[in-house]
Amino acid sequence: MTKEREGALSGYRVLDLADSKGAYCTKLLADLGADVIKIERPEGDPGRGIPPFVDDVPHPEKSLYFLHRNANKRGITLNLDISVGRNILKKLVKTADVLVENSPPDYMANLGLDYSVLSKINPALIIASITEFGHSGPYKYRKGSNLVDFALSGVMITSGYPGKEPCLLPGSPAYDSASLHASVSIVAAIYMRGTTGQGQYIDTSVHLTSRMGLYPWIVPNYSYALNPGAPPPTSETRMGASIYPVYPCKDGFIRVIALTPRQWDALMRVLGNPDILQTEEWRSFMYRIGNADDLYALMLEFTTKYTMLELFEAGRREGVPIAPILDIADFYNSPHTKAREFFIEVEHPVAGKADYPGPPYKWTETLAVMKRPAPCLGEHNEEVYCQELGLSKDDLVALRGGGVL
Amino acid sequence: MLPLENVKILSFGTGAVVPDAGKILGELGADVIKIESKDNLDFMRTIGPDINNIGQFNEANRSKRSFGVNLKTEKGLELVSQLIKIADILLENFRGGVMKSLGLDYENVRKLNPQIIYVSSQGFGGGGPYSDYQAYGPMLSAASGLLSIWAQPDDPYPVGSNSPLPDHMASKYAVVAALAALDYRRRTGRGQFIDMAQTEVAASLVGEYYLDYTFNKRITKPMGNRSPYAAPHGCYACKGADEWCAIAVFTDEEWQSFCNAIGNPAWTKDPKFADLLGRLKNTDELDKKVGEWTATLDAHVVMETLQAAGIAAGEVQRAPDTLADPQLKWDGAIVELDHPVSGKRLYPGVPFRMSATPPLKSTPAPLLGEHTEEICCDLLKMSDEEIKRLLDEGIIDNPESAKGAGGGMFG
Repeated sequence: MTKEREGALSGYRVLDLADSKGAYCTKLLADLGADVIKIERPEGDPGRGIPPFVDDVPHPEKSLYFLHRNANKRGITLNLDISVGRNILKKLVKTADVLVENSPPDYMANLGLDYSVLSKINPALIIASITEFGHSGPYKYRKGSNLVDFALSGVMITSGYPGKEPCLLPGSPAYDSASLHASVSIVAAIYMRGTTGQGQYIDTSVHLTSRMGLYPWIVPNYSYALNPGAPPPTSETRMGASIYPVYPCKDGFIRVIALTPRQWDALMRVLGNPDILQTEEWRSFMYRIGNADDLYALMLEFTTKYTMLELFEAGRREGVPIAPILDIADFYNSPHTKAREFFIEVEHPVAGKADYPGPPYKWTETLAVMKRPAPCLGEHNEEVYCQELGLSKDDLVALRGGGVL
Repeated sequence: MLPLENVKILSFGTGAVVPDAGKILGELGADVIKIESKDNLDFMRTIGPDINNIGQFNEANRSKRSFGVNLKTEKGLELVSQLIKIADILLENFRGGVMKSLGLDYENVRKLNPQIIYVSSQGFGGGGPYSDYQAYGPMLSAASGLLSIWAQPDDPYPVGSNSPLPDHMASKYAVVAALAALDYRRRTGRGQFIDMAQTEVAASLVGEYYLDYTFNKRITKPMGNRSPYAAPHGCYACKGADEWCAIAVFTDEEWQSFCNAIGNPAWTKDPKFADLLGRLKNTDELDKKVGEWTATLDAHVVMETLQAAGIAAGEVQRAPDTLADPQLKWDGAIVELDHPVSGKRLYPGVPFRMSATPPLKSTPAPLLGEHTEEICCDLLKMSDEEIKRLLDEGIIDNPESAKGAGGGMFG
C-alpha cells in the first residue's frame, strides 16, 4: 500500500476550543494536515448562527461562515462546566500538541484549566490564548467585536469615501488578524519544541494584533512625518480614492496604481495618449493627489472606451498596474482562478455539495487541500471518545444524558 | 532561546508581503538576509528622497541584515548561490518570472540546495494566465472580489482604503507556510516549493461570501458596517471633524444596557426598537437617532460611556490615539528603535508573547548594503582584498557605494 501524501503539519493534534475569534487560526493548521478537533459546547459554537446560510435557512449545519472557517476539522461536543467534562478534556490534552482557546480572561483559570495545570499533564503542550483586549491591563474586561476592534485598529479611519462613514473591511478582519498571528506563533512554537521538547503558552489579543499587524505603517508614518520630502501622509484619513483611484470602464470599474512618472506615462499609452492629460503637472503624483476630482472628471472619457480586461492587459503590456474590480462571481470564474484550481468541491452531509475556496497556496511535497467538510455538531464524538480515548458506547450514552456531550 | 535560532533565511522581497514576513521571522530569531541592490531598488526604498530614511520601508524591513549585490552580474549570482547553499528558507515576491530570468527559480535553486524551502508569493500566484502580472496589495483587493464588497451600499463604486491590505494578511500566511515546511523538513529531511497567491488569501478571508455564490448563486453586495444580526452596528459621527465611534449592539439585553447608558431618551421606548428584529427593520431611523446622541459628544466619551455599560464600542482611531491607548501602553506594544539614519522612531512591537522565549524584539532596518562586508567575511569566507575588489567593481554594495541611489519616486 502506498503511503498517502500528508500535510506539512500531519501528525500534530490541535484541540480547538475557539469560536469565531480563533476559527481561522485552526483552519490554517487544519489546511496543512494537523488533526484539528473542534470542541464545542453541547449547544454548539455560536459561529453556527452566523449568516449567510445555505438557501437562507438558519440551521446549525448551514452557516456558510461556519462551514468555510471550520472545514478540514473534526468536531466533538464537551461541556467544560461539568467536572467530568473537564476530566475528559485533560485526557485529550495528553494526546494533543496544541490547544487554542479564545475564552474571556480568567475563564480557563476559573475552570482549573489554565496553562500551569495543563502543562503538568502534558509538558510538551503548546497553548495559544486569544482574548479581545488581553489577560491583564485597563481594558481587560472591555467588550470587543470585529467592528469595534477594527475601528480601534487604525485601518477603519482610512477605509471608504472621504466625508462618509468609515467602512468595515468585509469578513472578520480583526478576528482573522488575531488568528493569523496565533497561527504564526503556534508553528514557531512547534518548530522550537523540536529542539527543546517543551511546550509553551502563547498570549495574544485581537486588540494588539489588529492594531500592530493589519496596517503596521500607521505608527511609523506618524513618527516619520517630520522627514523632509516624506511620502504623503496616508494613515489619518480616507485617501483610497485619490492614491489608488478607481475609474469606470465599459463593463465595470478598474483601479489604477500610477505612482511614478514612468507609471503615469505608461497609463497615458494605455489610454491612447490623450492630449488633455499630456502636461508636465499631471505627471506629478502629488499634483494628482491634490487634484483628484479634476483628474477623475478628465479620465472618464478615456477609461470608458475599454473593458476591464482590456485595461488590465494593456497595463501589464505598458508597465502600469491596473486591476479590474472583480465581483465574487468574476473572481470565481476567472481563468486564472480556474487554472490554479483554487476552488475545490466538498460534500457536506447536511449542507450539500459545493465549491469551497481552498488553501491559498500550492505545495510540492506536502498536501494543502480540502479533505473534509466542517464537522456536524458532535459528528466525531464516537470516533474520538470511543475509538481513540477508549470510552465505551455506554459511557457515551451516560455522558450525553448527563449533559456532558 | 528564540524559536528560530540558527535558521537562515534569504529574502528576495519587495513592497510589503515578503519584507513583513521576513521581519516576523527575524523577530522570532532567524538570521534574515535581505538580498537587494542599489541598481534595482526595492520600490519601498524609492518613495522618499533618501533610500535609508523611509518609514514604511524601515518598518517592514526590521530585524534583517542587508546584503547589497548586483544579481545581473555573474559574480553577484555566484555569491548568492553560495548563500543559497547554506540557507534554510528562501522567500521571494518579485513579479512572476523575475526569479526565473535570474536563474533563481526553484528548479535551479534546489540543485544548489535540495533541502531548501522556497516560498514564492505572487499577487495572482503561479500557473495561470496572470502569473507574471505586476501586483500591489490595493490591486489584489480589487482583483480578488474583496474590494467589490468593501463599501457602503450607497457608494457609487468601492474605493477600499489607503492600506495595502491584503498584503499584511498574506505576509502572515507566508510565515505560517515557511515554518510549517521547516518543521516538516525537520521531521522528514524534505524541503519544498510553496506557491502562494495573494488574491487567494484575500478571497479566503471572505470565503463565506464565496460559498454564498457557490451554494446560493448570490453575488454579495456591499453591506458597509451593517450586520444582519446586530443593530445598532456602525460608526457614528461624534463631535469634531471626522470623529467617529463604532458601536455594536447584539442582544436585546445589550440594547437595554445601551438605552440606560444614554439616559433612556423617549425615542428608545418606541416598541419598534424593542427587539433585534424591529431594530434591524428600522435601522435607518435607529442609526439617525443614535447619531443624534453621539454628535454631541467626543468619540472618546461615547466609547467610555458605552464600555462602562458593557457595550462593545470603540473610537475610530488614528496614530496619536494608538500612542495614547492605555491598554497598548500596558502591553508595551509600541517600541522605539534607534536607526542610524532615521534616529529614534516608533514602530509596532511583536503582538504576541511566548512564555518559553525571552521577549521578542526587532532590530532597526538595515541601510542598503549595511551587512554586505560582514556576510562576505563570515558566511562567504572572503578576504578583505576580494571584498574591496568586488565593491570597486560595483558587484556588491555597501552603504558608502549606495550613496545617491534612489532619489524618490515623487521627485
